[in-house]
Amino acid sequence: MRRFFLIAVPYMWLLALFMVPFIIVFKISLSDTALAIPPYTPTLDFAAGWQGFKSFLSELDWENYVFLTEDDLYWKAYISSFKIALTSTILTLLVGYPIAYGMARAPHEWRATLLMLVILPFWTSFLIRVYSWMGILSQEGYLNQFLMSFGLISEPLIILNTNIAVYIGIVYTYLPFMILPIYSALEKMDESLLEAAEDLGCSRFTAFWLVTIPLSKQGIIAGSFLVFIPALGEFVIPSLLGGSKTLMIGKVLWEEFFSNRDWPVASAVAVILLLILVIPIILFQRNEQKQREAEG
Amino acid sequence: MALDASAPWEDPEAKPVIHFQNVTKRFGDFTAIDDLTIDIYEKEFFALLGPSGCGKTTLMRMLAGFETPTEGTILLQGENIAPVPPNKRAVNMMFQSYALFPHLSIWENIAFGLKRDGMSKHDINERVDEMLRLTRLEQFARRKPHQISGGQRQRVALARSLAKHPKLLLLDEPLGALDKKLRQETQFELMDIQEKTDTTFVIVTHDQEEAMTVASRVAVMDHGKIIQVATPDAIYETPNSTYVADFIGDVNLIEGKAAGQDGDKLKITWAEGQPDIIGTPTTEFSNGQTVHFAIRPEKVSITAEKPEKANCLQGKILDIAYLGNISTYHVELAGGKVIKAQTANNRRLSRRSFTWEDDVWLSFTDTAGVLLER
Amino acid sequence: MKNTFLTLTMTAALTAMAASAEEVRVYNWSDYIDEDLLSKFEEETGIKLIYDVFDSNEVLETKMLAGGSGYDVVVPSGTFLQRQITAGAFQKLDLAQLSNHGNMWDVIEARTEQYDPENAYSINYMWGTTGLGVNTGKVAEALGDDAPIGSLELVFNPANMEKLANCGVHFLDAPAEMIPAALAYLGEDPNSHDKEVIAKAEAVLTAIRPYVLKFHSSEYINALANGDICVAFGWSGDILQARDRAWEAENGVEIAYNAPSEGALMWFDQMAIPADAPNPKAAHIFLNYIMDADNAAAASNYVYYANGNKASQPMLVEDVIGDPAIYPDEKTLENLYTTTPYDTKIQRVVTRLWTKIKSGT
Repeated sequence: MRRFFLIAVPYMWLLALFMVPFIIVFKISLSDTALAIPPYTPTLDFAAGWQGFKSFLSELDWENYVFLTEDDLYWKAYISSFKIALTSTILTLLVGYPIAYGMARAPHEWRATLLMLVILPFWTSFLIRVYSWMGILSQEGYLNQFLMSFGLISEPLIILNTNIAVYIGIVYTYLPFMILPIYSALEKMDESLLEAAEDLGCSRFTAFWLVTIPLSKQGIIAGSFLVFIPALGEFVIPSLLGGSKTLMIGKVLWEEFFSNRDWPVASAVAVILLLILVIPIILFQRNEQKQREAEG
Repeated sequence: MALDASAPWEDPEAKPVIHFQNVTKRFGDFTAIDDLTIDIYEKEFFALLGPSGCGKTTLMRMLAGFETPTEGTILLQGENIAPVPPNKRAVNMMFQSYALFPHLSIWENIAFGLKRDGMSKHDINERVDEMLRLTRLEQFARRKPHQISGGQRQRVALARSLAKHPKLLLLDEPLGALDKKLRQETQFELMDIQEKTDTTFVIVTHDQEEAMTVASRVAVMDHGKIIQVATPDAIYETPNSTYVADFIGDVNLIEGKAAGQDGDKLKITWAEGQPDIIGTPTTEFSNGQTVHFAIRPEKVSITAEKPEKANCLQGKILDIAYLGNISTYHVELAGGKVIKAQTANNRRLSRRSFTWEDDVWLSFTDTAGVLLER
Repeated sequence: MKNTFLTLTMTAALTAMAASAEEVRVYNWSDYIDEDLLSKFEEETGIKLIYDVFDSNEVLETKMLAGGSGYDVVVPSGTFLQRQITAGAFQKLDLAQLSNHGNMWDVIEARTEQYDPENAYSINYMWGTTGLGVNTGKVAEALGDDAPIGSLELVFNPANMEKLANCGVHFLDAPAEMIPAALAYLGEDPNSHDKEVIAKAEAVLTAIRPYVLKFHSSEYINALANGDICVAFGWSGDILQARDRAWEAENGVEIAYNAPSEGALMWFDQMAIPADAPNPKAAHIFLNYIMDADNAAAASNYVYYANGNKASQPMLVEDVIGDPAIYPDEKTLENLYTTTPYDTKIQRVVTRLWTKIKSGT
């Protein structure tokens, strides 16, 4: 009995927080838009019983998915989102790895403080932090004022409302998710491994490349997924920091939902996005499992 | 003692592989190595022995290149190695933790250093196979370090550090992580491998038994200084200080004063109501000078009757430590001094001659002990 | 001590009961009311007012169509109102509870009837036009003193826009207003629902797209006031608010608003009561309060938008009633056009066209 509960709890969790919402969204994606409350048809009428359910099912179709293939907007948005998410993930890795490395090599008594500092930004609302970036990056913003006052530039840089601002926003926001897993991997590492590598003929750089990087691989992979997955569906950062040219699936989704009031198409876009995300998530899970098995 | 190849330190013509010249190493205020000069010769199995914090590990890390001397020079085959980074030195190290790369197989671990040298694939294969044979690890080549036992890991670490034919192999507490039985087996294996490979080994250990077993010469260290460098038997039989005598093996230490030379013998008065001890000094002692008389328990005989020997002391058995092969008797003399005497248990326990509270005689010859100034 | 505690808990409990009984939830546009009016409402009626804001009709519409928004009063624009009435999102007003209804202005009611026949579901809160806000100094610098600041030429002629791009141009992110404007510039019917006609707007907007810094429906107020941008195609009252903020900041920025001479969109923000409003009675009290001549005047005097309340006009300050940008004269009024909502198919065409213009995809 106890065993049953132990297994049941995570499955209930999965069912309540993932499967039920997914089924609802999936159902809407198969229906047609309508000027009504809610704005799609058919809706499930429990009063009509089994007959009602059958007629409900018969009205569902794949039309919206077909529609997504007819307009190049959607796949272009998926690809563009993928590119932005991938680029941001790489940038976050490039920024996050040295930070994690520095933390793991810092004296023991500092580490707790450094960890605290990494987590500290979470104590402020995400929106406020993104808005403050608008204040920093705008044409009259702090960054331009700073650079101009030192005479480094004569014309203000246009950063806000470009993809660069989106990258800055994503890297900034998700940096802790990259740092923490890499840090925990590096912290476990025995420093004598690096000495052994040097002793066996590696320069500092090759020792880093052949020993440190492979041993922090799990952290790199975990951190990359933790950044890539939310960045792919990101809406707030591109809509606040990005320009109108920044094409991301999150924004397309918003437009389908709000401008077109087309819940069924919006749901279809969301279902596809989820499928795109599920593949890396499964890969990630398998990787984790492999790791656990290897560690026995 | 004859001058031969096995004792190059006695040959003034021999060129050392390693030469430390007045080397000092400080970490802030702390002096880890204090004005140290020492030579290590080719094919030696050299042990650095001392308690933790004595500087032996720092000495080794300076050889490996992980530390640089604050003052003084270290020569490797006549060349100053201070500016040579660890990866360019013909010195390899076997780490205390083994430091095996967990993401690489045993084979890849051993090949790691060879690959860095840009050896051909064929040569690498050959050399790795040779090392696997030498350390009897052939069937584990494809495994990862976490899939083999502690003893096997130790052998992988050894194989890896030997693979590059180093001029000098450094072993940092190589057997510390093994249990006692495995440690003893491995000690002989180490000696065997050292002989086969003709490599100079420098081993750091805090275990005097291990140092005595494997080393051709032992350097006993304390507070950044070398107290004595000698062959294991010399260290044991003729320690140059009470520190060395006490650190290596078991010893009775009696402090007294020189009370007159008689030929090559010296009389030492050491306690009221006790006869003077007669010993054979190797240095001059003036009358009244403090003398530390050190004698190993196994050189002290224990008898019921007073024997005909140069030194005889009467006492009462306080305690008996039965160790199987030997027994150690703790005998209290009049005045409270306790002397340890050891006898081999070549008879069954039931027929043992002495028991607690027995009055006994302790005796030793006038050459059995050493007379030390400090 | 014990007694005090008891009294406190009882008071708290009573207050909680009162709150749940008399509470009205209003969902209005951001920066769209004098906050003093809100506290005055609570004082006069004893009803607790919960006031939330939004900045796009789309967000409001999604809430309305999802149902169960929990709001008692919402403020959609005319075209959105019409569609939501069709969807059954609103309840008819009970005129018996609206004693101030006689204050409403027939001229405006005649125009809002096309969205809400007989004005059965809504009252007009504010109305205005969509036009050009300019930073006069910067625009003169870029285009000379005879810059066409009162004409769509300013923003739809690429030659002008190229020069303005350096000082920054914002457009509303509202296709239902920007596409009619492009059609007006071409001399087409701005309210066209014909796919082919609508498609003509693409060329106009694509040509000037590279020079538009941002499409956004509220950021331009601050950007204009700070001098970050020099031209905004936006809503009249918002631009006049930017003008005032610049005055107050004394930063040397001078803002002017003009309804374009080629024709300007006239829009109406209507207050209505959702069909599932939790407290329709309090909603009626709130609408009646807004329709009070003094209150309506106070609102307009604060936000610089014209209202649909005839009786409030004597109380309006000269800055508002006397400014043709807010209360246009007869001639300008003739030049204003209204639009009707797109059906689902055309809406999709319009949104898609807008996305294409903005993102190039």
